This record gives sequence, C-alpha cells and structure tokens, in this order.
Amino acid sequence: MIYSVVGYYALILGLISGSILIYFSIQNFRNSEILDAKILSLSFLQLLFVVISFFGLILSFVVSDFSNETVFNNSHTTKPLFYKITGTWGNHEGSLLLWLLVLTLFIFIFLLRTNNQSIKYKTLTTIFQQIIIVGFFIFLLKTSNPFNYLFPIPEEGLGLNPILQDPALAIHPPILYLGYVGSSIIFSSALAATTLKMVSGSWATHIKKWTLVSWIFLTLGILLGSIWAYYELGWGGFWFWDPVENVSLMPWLALTTLLHCILVLEKKLILTSWVIILSIATFTLSMCGTFLVRSGILNSVHTFANDPERGLFILIFLFVLIFMSLFIFFFFHKEDQNNSINLFWLSKESAIILNNWFMMYFLSVVLIGTVYPIFLDVISSEKISVGPPFYHKLIVPFLIPFLIAMAIGPQLKWIKSNLDSKKILIFLLLVSILISYLVVKNFNKNLLVNTILISSAFYLFFITVRDFFTKKFKNVYQNIAHFGFSLLILSILFNNLLSSEVITNLKVGESYENSKIKIILEDINQTEEKNYNSVVANFKIISSNGKINKMSPELRIYNQPSIVTSEADIKTSLMKDKFIVINLVQNQEYFNVRYQDKPFMLWIWLSVLLFSMGGILSFFKKKI
Amino acid sequence: MKNLKIFLIILLIIPNLSFADNQLERNKITKNLRCLICQGQSVYDSDSDFANSMKILVDKKLEEGLSENEIYDFFKEKYGEWILYDPGLNKNTYILWLLPLLIFLLGGAIIMKKLRFKN
Repeated sequence: MIYSVVGYYALILGLISGSILIYFSIQNFRNSEILDAKILSLSFLQLLFVVISFFGLILSFVVSDFSNETVFNNSHTTKPLFYKITGTWGNHEGSLLLWLLVLTLFIFIFLLRTNNQSIKYKTLTTIFQQIIIVGFFIFLLKTSNPFNYLFPIPEEGLGLNPILQDPALAIHPPILYLGYVGSSIIFSSALAATTLKMVSGSWATHIKKWTLVSWIFLTLGILLGSIWAYYELGWGGFWFWDPVENVSLMPWLALTTLLHCILVLEKKLILTSWVIILSIATFTLSMCGTFLVRSGILNSVHTFANDPERGLFILIFLFVLIFMSLFIFFFFHKEDQNNSINLFWLSKESAIILNNWFMMYFLSVVLIGTVYPIFLDVISSEKISVGPPFYHKLIVPFLIPFLIAMAIGPQLKWIKSNLDSKKILIFLLLVSILISYLVVKNFNKNLLVNTILISSAFYLFFITVRDFFTKKFKNVYQNIAHFGFSLLILSILFNNLLSSEVITNLKVGESYENSKIKIILEDINQTEEKNYNSVVANFKIISSNGKINKMSPELRIYNQPSIVTSEADIKTSLMKDKFIVINLVQNQEYFNVRYQDKPFMLWIWLSVLLFSMGGILSFFKKKI
Repeated sequence: MKNLKIFLIILLIIPNLSFADNQLERNKITKNLRCLICQGQSVYDSDSDFANSMKILVDKKLEEGLSENEIYDFFKEKYGEWILYDPGLNKNTYILWLLPLLIFLLGGAIIMKKLRFKN
C-alpha cells in the first residue's frame, strides 16, 4: 500500500520537475553564458523520483501487495522472489516505467558527461529530451498508471505468464530498452544541433559514442530475446520474422546505418542531411515499435494488454515528435552550399554510401513487411500473413552483393584509392566459390543459390581474416565486427542446411529408430514445485556412432495462471546442439517428441557477441 | 579465369536433383502455414492440437498426390489468405512485394543525382 502511494507521488514529482526543467532550460538557452547548475540538479532529482517510483513498484511486487492493480494482474504469492522482482517489468505499466527510468538516466548522464559542447546545445538537447520525458510521464499517469488502487483488496494475484518466468527474459527488456531509449539522446541531440547549425565533424565524434552505446545494447538485447525464443518457445528456431522481432530489428538497422554514415560526416563534412534524417528515424522507429507492440495491434507474446486509448496516445505523441522534427529539419537545416559533392568511385565514402543504400533497402523490406498487413486489414479488411518466406525472398538476393561489398569496402581509403591487392582479392573470391561448391554439393538442396550465398559469406570471412594479419591493429574494431557478421551468416546458413529432426509420438518404454538415431523414452518423473507441477521425461538417445546421450525435457503445469509450458532440454557443444522437447498428446498416454540436431547454434550466439564486441572495443578506444 | 570456366561447366552439368521425400515436403509446406490458434507460430513450429491435425491433413493431401501449390490453394480456400506465410503476388500484395524494390531503385537514383562520382 505505502509503496504504491510513494511510487505514485514520486511519478507526479518527476513530471513536475520535467516541466520546471523545460522552463529553466529555455531561460538558460536565452542567456547562455554559463550552464545553470539548477538544470543538472533538477535532472538528478527527476532521475531520483523515477528511481523511487520504480522501487515502489518493485517493493509492491516483492510484498505481493494486491491492492495495486498491476501487481494483482501480474503476480502471485507462490511465485519465486526472483520472478516477483523481474515481473515488475514483465507487464505493460512496469515496462513503461522502466522506459522512463532509462530516459531520465540517459539525459542525466548526457548532461554530466558532455563537457566540450556549447551551453546552448546542451540546454536545447535537454529541452527536446524533456519533451519526450514529459510525454511519457503523461502517458504513464493517464493511460497506464502502475499504481492503480484496487478495493476490495483481492486475496490472490493472477500470476505472471509462465513463459516470461525465465532468467534470459528477466534481463532482456532492460538491455533492449537501454538500446531503444539510448536513441532518444541521438534524436534530441540531432534536433538541437540542426537548430544551432552545428552539425559538423566534432558533433559527429561526440554523438558517435551515443550511437555506439545504443547499438551495443540493442544488439545484446535482441540477442537475449533470440536465445530465449530458442530454448523457451519450444520450436528450436531463433528468429521468426515475427512483427515484434522486426520492430526491434528496424531501429537496429537504422542505427547500424547511422554508425557507418557518421564516419563520413566525421571525416568529410558531407551527408549532413542524411545523418540528421537517420538520427530522427532511429528514435522514431523505436517509438513506432512501442506503438505497435503496446497498442495491441500486433498479436504476440509481447502484447500485454490491448487498450485502444494507449495506442491512440502513442500515435498522437509520435506524430507530434515527427512533425516537430520535420519542422526543425526543413526550417533550420540548409544544405551545405550549392557545390555538388564529388566522390571517387573507389573510396571509403562510396563504399559507405553503398552500405547505406543496401541497409535502407533491408529496412524498407522489414518495415513494409511488418506494417503492410495491418494497413491492408484497415483499408480492405483482408487479412494476410507475411512470414519468413517473404523476407528471405527479398533479402537473400541482396545479401550477396552486400557481403562482397562489406569485404571490399574496408580495403579502400578515404577520398581516393586504388585496389592494391586485386589479385589476392580475386583469388580469395575463387577460393570461396570453390569451397562453397564442394561443401554444398553434398546436400542436394538449391545448389546454385546456396553456393553463391555461402561463397559470398566465405569471401567476407577470408578477407577479414586476412585483414587481421595484414592490417594488424588498424581499424581492428571494424574488422572484428565485419568478421563477426560473416561468421553469423555462415553459421545461420550451415545451421539451416545441416539441421535434421525427428518428430514422433512415444509412450514410456517405447522407442523410435531410423538410420541415424535411436530415441528411447525410458521413464517419467513427476514432482511438485513451488508454483507448478513438473513432468520430466527421461530419454536415451543413441547416435549412429554408438554415442549415448541422456536428455530430459520437461513439461511444467503452472497453477496460476494455469498454463502448460514445455522446457526443452538442450545439449550444447561446440559443433552442434541437440534439442529435444515434448508435448502432451491430448487424452492419451503418448508424448509428442521432437528431436533436432542443430549444428553451429553456439556459433550464431558467439558471432553476435563478437560483433557487439567490435562495438564495445570501439567505444572504449582512445582517440587517435 | 580457367578455374572459373571449369567451375561454371561443372555447375551446369550437375542436374538439379529433386527430392520426393514426403517428410521434407511436409516440413516445407507446414513452415509456410500459420498455426491459427497460436501467437505467431507456423504449423511446423507448433505442437498445438490444431497444428498437429494440420500436419496430418498435409500428409493426407500429399498422399493423395496434390502438389505443394495445390495444397496451399486448398488451405487458402478453407481458411483465407491469412493462413499462408508466403503471400502470393496478387492485387492485394503488389505494394508489399514491389514497394521495397522501388525504394531500392529510388535510393540508387537519389544517390546518383545528389552525388557526383568520378573515376
């Protein structure tokens, strides 16, 4: 009770401090000799209020205070403490409060750490950021108050969706939000810089760090979500082009584009308009994602509640932000002089522009694939599904030149360059084609397409490996990232090509056998856990080489809410994962068993870690 | 270059073997069908009763000798286009399929217009 009240009033105080901050910042902007100390203190105070509010909600969850509507809807007394805490952001209201927490945290850090920029710029960025923050405060208080009071107080809560009761999912939202919301700083800062006509090389260097921070967190957040989907959703896949996954991929693509394009701005002072547009687009896409997920338009595990009022609010808010940024862009931004930009074909700039061109195409595929079905439904009430085949058909052919350009681009120098090592580059291309051909021809599956695709990935792989030796530590971060990407594509392709699976129905004592494998269901154990009943099936799996593995997938029958989840058993090794999952066959003593051999799964995760590592190292590198 | 020639010749000689294995065919088809009672899962990925009965139905249709496309048409007629993950090209989906490609061309045009490239 008391925690909710404190949390609620802390939110109101946070909103008030946001409004005062805007007022002071405008004052300070007009008269900007020194930065008003009040701005930093108020920003800290605002952060403190949101932290208090957030802890208020966490404590309400911990003590299972069911007079709080959010706690009642999403918690239960029998839930383990860990999931009581993480349940705080496992719902609509709490996750928005977390979003707000990150927003206020970032502007505070921005004010604290930005020393070498003008006062006008800092105050203006604060104003834009506070507009976003105040918008979210109002959204939270008006449509999604996490501290609604329930009377009479219910005895017991409704419980948290069991598939969300998972360690990876406990940290997935905070990490992802750091990425999403980090882009708000890029947005505010780009608007401020445009207004003050200071989009320049030094601004590019300054904002690059923030871009990297968002990019790293977003990458890791997506990775965690993907790992969770792999072991928890029980189908052994890790990416389904589900609208909610796409929604996180879109800002990622925009950020990655920005990350490349900002290098050109830093070096050559061109493409200013493009950098501004991308900065605006990145945060707008994050907001669009919030709108699509929170409004309940999308049908997914992430949709906690369907409430048109919320969707409408975010939509209006989104339009206000877009309108504001477009106005600023067209009113204040003047294209740099009238002399057109001259570039040499063979130069790093051209390569980065090529990258941007392709990235924008990928982004448009994902955006249109996600939004078009909703659009069609609205205008003609015809429902269509857009799934993996659509994305594969439109993305894969373009991936081939993209990978090759990704290998050659970093070989080029700024302004003008000659390809010195043409012979080696061509030789490596031939080697890649030959190796891919020899590998792919064993599988009899789409020989031509797979050969070309795998050889372009191998090409990037070989060239980046070569660069580790020839370039040593020059641009090593970039090289790590590109190398990681080649490894990711290769792992995905080989995983796709080499996976095999068995689906069968078994009861205790029965076994399944084919030429490669024998699966025996030995026995089952039933136990009662704190908030669920567990059924563990013990399997013995004999591979063709006589190796015996014991695997024990589990079914969990949760009491509150009453849902059955299946926990896959996964044996991970360096070269392949063995994946087994069971399900109940209705009214029978049979279990539906699905066993998969999934090569290179570990490499998919590792390669994503590797390319985020490139980003992390680049963030910490000293200025050269 | 010689290697490349040899490689291309080898490539052309190898015939495209087609697999008539029902299991593979079934997996391919069920991956393109939406499990209507699930949240964003294909029939192949889901183990719900609905998905399991769909799998059996697909097997039956394959045994009856229907081709992949005929099976899609069968489901489309029964459940509407919503069930297919791979929307065909028709008046409803021209924009879906062609707009990204148009954007790609447009992007290229903008780049060529705004920037001057020279050798």
